[in-house]
Amino acid sequence: MTTLMTLGVLAQVGSGRIQGGWGYVWSCYGITVAALVLYSLSLWLRRPQAPQDAKE
Amino acid sequence: MNKLIKWGLPLAGLGVLAAGWWLGLAWAPPDREMGDVQRIMYVHVPLQWMAMVAMLLNFVAAVSYLLRGNASWKLDSTAESAAEVGLLLGTLGMVTGAIWGRPTWGVYWSWDPRLTSEAIMLVTYTGYLVLRRFVEDPDKRATWSAVVAILGAINLPIVWFSVRWWRSLHQVQSSPKTVDPQMVLPLRVSAIGLLLITIFFLITRYRLALAERQAEVALPDALPEASGSVVSNAHKVA
Amino acid sequence: MNRPAPIGLLRATLALLRKDLLIEWRTRARLNAIVFFALATLLMFSFALGPDTRLLEKNAGGYFWLAILFASVLALGESFRVESENACMDGVRLAPADARAIYLSKALGNALLLVALGTLLLPVMVALYGVKVVTGFVDLGCVLLLGSLALSAPGTVYAAISSNARARDVLLPLLLFPLVIPALLSAAKATTLVLQGDPMNQLNSWLGLLLGFNLIYWGVGFLLFPRIIED
Repeated sequence: MTTLMTLGVLAQVGSGRIQGGWGYVWSCYGITVAALVLYSLSLWLRRPQAPQDAKE
Repeated sequence: MNKLIKWGLPLAGLGVLAAGWWLGLAWAPPDREMGDVQRIMYVHVPLQWMAMVAMLLNFVAAVSYLLRGNASWKLDSTAESAAEVGLLLGTLGMVTGAIWGRPTWGVYWSWDPRLTSEAIMLVTYTGYLVLRRFVEDPDKRATWSAVVAILGAINLPIVWFSVRWWRSLHQVQSSPKTVDPQMVLPLRVSAIGLLLITIFFLITRYRLALAERQAEVALPDALPEASGSVVSNAHKVA
Repeated sequence: MNRPAPIGLLRATLALLRKDLLIEWRTRARLNAIVFFALATLLMFSFALGPDTRLLEKNAGGYFWLAILFASVLALGESFRVESENACMDGVRLAPADARAIYLSKALGNALLLVALGTLLLPVMVALYGVKVVTGFVDLGCVLLLGSLALSAPGTVYAAISSNARARDVLLPLLLFPLVIPALLSAAKATTLVLQGDPMNQLNSWLGLLLGFNLIYWGVGFLLFPRIIED
């Protein structure tokens, strides 16, 4: 954690390359995937009911 | 055709998106300054692009709804689906952007014109969707929400300019921008994958909205010439 | 069917504005309510921040406009509630009044109310926050006028919408607040410049931004309002 904080300070100064930080990357991808899956689920749950009736 | 949209589109989208992300996470080189953290770009930037596409679609649908003389449920449903999908993608884009900002800028949030305009955009479209929930009459709901969508969309460039002026009195943080050709390919592939998924969401949500509209206005539509009599009534009142 | 000759847009607007102002003048309920509400808001800001006069003075422009914005939500909502009693709006529409005249009269009436509110709040702000009008009252009047017009142009459109929806008290601020951010920002900034001096001559660019906001929203409101109240 302290390394991350020093990295943050380094980044603000703007010197050198940020090392590591994969935690941030994985959380971004994870949140996106989770949200897309949840949205698909909500679309499926809200699917139009009884499409057979509409066709009659 | 239906099957293709229902299964082919999301599967193709997932495949292309997975390929793009794999390229971005494993194949592309780390950024010269931002290191591996820069790999957030391959999820953040496509999300932002697709959110813009969805909001643009919402604006176009709202304008054409108001320009059309008679109520078009297809345009109204398009606007509704685009706003909802755009809100989802925009929120994700903002969250990933904030996470990206922490290691690179040192803060999750800065009052940068782009960030601020996007936050205001999300609030605007939340208001839009809440308004749609609170109006029962489908005709009024469609017209009013189209007006709200247009006013909200016009506002975004004004917000952008005003925040830029407002910020210019303070210090503006600049983010370094270096784009390697090896970063362009994963970005494009992920964007295409997300585009396919966005189109799938839009079509599914559109069908849902259209089914709701048709259930709401089922009675007048079932009667022949019902729409004609409505038009002549409107003419008399006008 | 012989319809009465439609009177001109300007005359209809003035007649409706006169009607609204007369209703307002007879009861003065709306003005009283929003003035006390805004005063309470200004007081609350001082309590929330503690008695640090320097801090209050520095942020006075922002508090001033926030108080006006909160009060404007009440005023805007009320301006259409008056019409929904006894279906007054239908009567006005059948008069027949041009819907655009209804928009102009309502928006002008609301703007006038906000200008009156701002004028009454100013001495209170001088007393509570210890501010001084540095660059002159003409500048302050311009800011107040343009800011009030900028709040009431989109506000009137949204008040017309939300007054007919469910949960209108929640809906109006939810729709209005994000929309008026540029107006609030530039009005607060311009007021701060008026109160604290304007060494770098930034006042005119903020006033220009407010003017542009006004032109856009008065134009769009004028064009779109008829679609909102049509049935």
